[in-house]
Amino acid sequence: MSDIFIQLLLNGLIAGALYALVAAGFSIIYSTCRFFHFAHGSTVAVSAYFLYFLYAVLGLNFWVSILLTLAFSALFGWFLNRIAYAPLHRRKASSLILLVASFGLLIFFESLILLLFGADVKTIGFIKVEKGLEIAGAIITPLQIVIILAALALLLALFYFMKKTSLGKALRAVSDNKEVAEIVGISSKKMFLAAFVIGSMLAGVAGMLAGLEQNLEPSMGTNLIIKGFTGAIVGGVYSVPGAILGSVVLGLAENFGIWFLPSGFKDAIAFTLLFAFLLFKPEGILGIRKEVQK
Amino acid sequence: MIEAYLIHLLILVCIYLILAISLQLTIGFTGLLNLGHIGFFAIGAYTSALLSLAGFPFWIAILAAGILTLIFGFLLSLPLARLKGDYLALASLGFAFVVYAILLNWTDLTRGPLGLPGIPKPEIFGFVFSENLAFLLLALAIAAISFFVIHRIASSPFGKVLEAIRDDELAARVLGKNAFRMKAYSFGISAFFAGIAGSLYAGYITFIDPSSFTLLQLIPVLAIVIIAGMTSFKGTVLATIILVLLPEPLRFIGFPSSVVGPARQIIYSLLLLAILVYRPKGFFGKVELK
Repeated sequence: MSDIFIQLLLNGLIAGALYALVAAGFSIIYSTCRFFHFAHGSTVAVSAYFLYFLYAVLGLNFWVSILLTLAFSALFGWFLNRIAYAPLHRRKASSLILLVASFGLLIFFESLILLLFGADVKTIGFIKVEKGLEIAGAIITPLQIVIILAALALLLALFYFMKKTSLGKALRAVSDNKEVAEIVGISSKKMFLAAFVIGSMLAGVAGMLAGLEQNLEPSMGTNLIIKGFTGAIVGGVYSVPGAILGSVVLGLAENFGIWFLPSGFKDAIAFTLLFAFLLFKPEGILGIRKEVQK
Repeated sequence: MIEAYLIHLLILVCIYLILAISLQLTIGFTGLLNLGHIGFFAIGAYTSALLSLAGFPFWIAILAAGILTLIFGFLLSLPLARLKGDYLALASLGFAFVVYAILLNWTDLTRGPLGLPGIPKPEIFGFVFSENLAFLLLALAIAAISFFVIHRIASSPFGKVLEAIRDDELAARVLGKNAFRMKAYSFGISAFFAGIAGSLYAGYITFIDPSSFTLLQLIPVLAIVIIAGMTSFKGTVLATIILVLLPEPLRFIGFPSSVVGPARQIIYSLLLLAILVYRPKGFFGKVELK
């Protein structure tokens, strides 16, 4: 009994760590630019496939591939903002238009991956044999420990960045009040760009870790962004700590849920949680109640 | 051969037209970005398929599909109508996911990923619409009825109230209009026709599984509404025909179906993006999504 409990706890934390990386980026972009960047899921999937392409297809050194992929994910975020969102922002499109556009981008890149790489599952194959370690009767693989530690380190660094550095403060200023931030000389356009680059790098890390831990499928980005934004909504999409908290809650809820329900219902648990929060507490656990309801 | 192919495409046009016209009612006329439409389509298709497989006549199956989705649409709108635009979009999207997850996992009822094969072709008064030409006539009739009913609703005083709520909800409420109730009616009616479309789809394809009702299937319908322009009936008909036919030349060039599928989605999503950037009101629309 307690063995199962610890195993589910660990599985929940591993899933939660991945969701948190996606959700943190999603939340930074949302709180700065004020629209739901669904195509964040594309960044996750495209990064995972990019790593696969460099390492498994071209045969580059693993660590070089990781670094190149990280740079690529930042560039990809910049690119998305440049080709789709910036023109829309320029003509003052509503956040609904941006939402539909991001939805279109998500489907576009999922289909593009499907076209280029095919529907079959790919493995990066860096970690050959995964022998699990036993901790208090539960099994965890070294990679899973890396996932939890990497997520923890990155998210702590993100906290520090948002609280202490001047760029982080400028980002929060734009998120609080764009007009006032512009008056004191912070360019909201530059902050949008910064949010996209930082958020996309987090998504890139999430994509690489997810690609190493599970396998690569064209739909992986869509699946992860759904979990990521569910986590963000549950915790409070306006705050990065909230988004992280929500993601961990989601990871745990999914994994403990299958104690009672068949494992196929994992996704249904996530959606039900999303639904319940949107309806009853749309500002999330930590969130501030603003602009959510009329 | 080419005739059979054309008939097939026209049947698809009819089904998509019902879906798109009914989505116009919520997105275009009421201004609610409803991304859960494919969930209603799914509920309609499964209801109709299960009833037909259980031996019920087609007219009962299709009506039950419509009424059940109407109830779902109405109930869903009650909590949704309170949310702000993009949160409403997310919640309705969440609804579509829940429907998909249930279809996939409630295996006792839906057979999960195996799907429901062998759905009987529609039969009305002893006449079986098994020939595709006959089915096309049925689909045309149902699409025409749906079109005129929604057109009638949209141009009625009720439709004007919906538009008033879309343009200025507060003002509409000041004039004594119950915005929540109106949104609920709009959602319910829109869902009803999505259910009808689902029933027609199940009867035509004769096999359904959850993979027919994913996010990917929403893109063409959403693209039709946005490209046509909100509230435009003429535009919706044109956009439906164009979008259903547009990817077809890919088949003639001889691409395998593993290429045609993603290429279709790529065409739809690119069109959607291009319209949003260059012509946000669509080709015939009067208003923009707010």
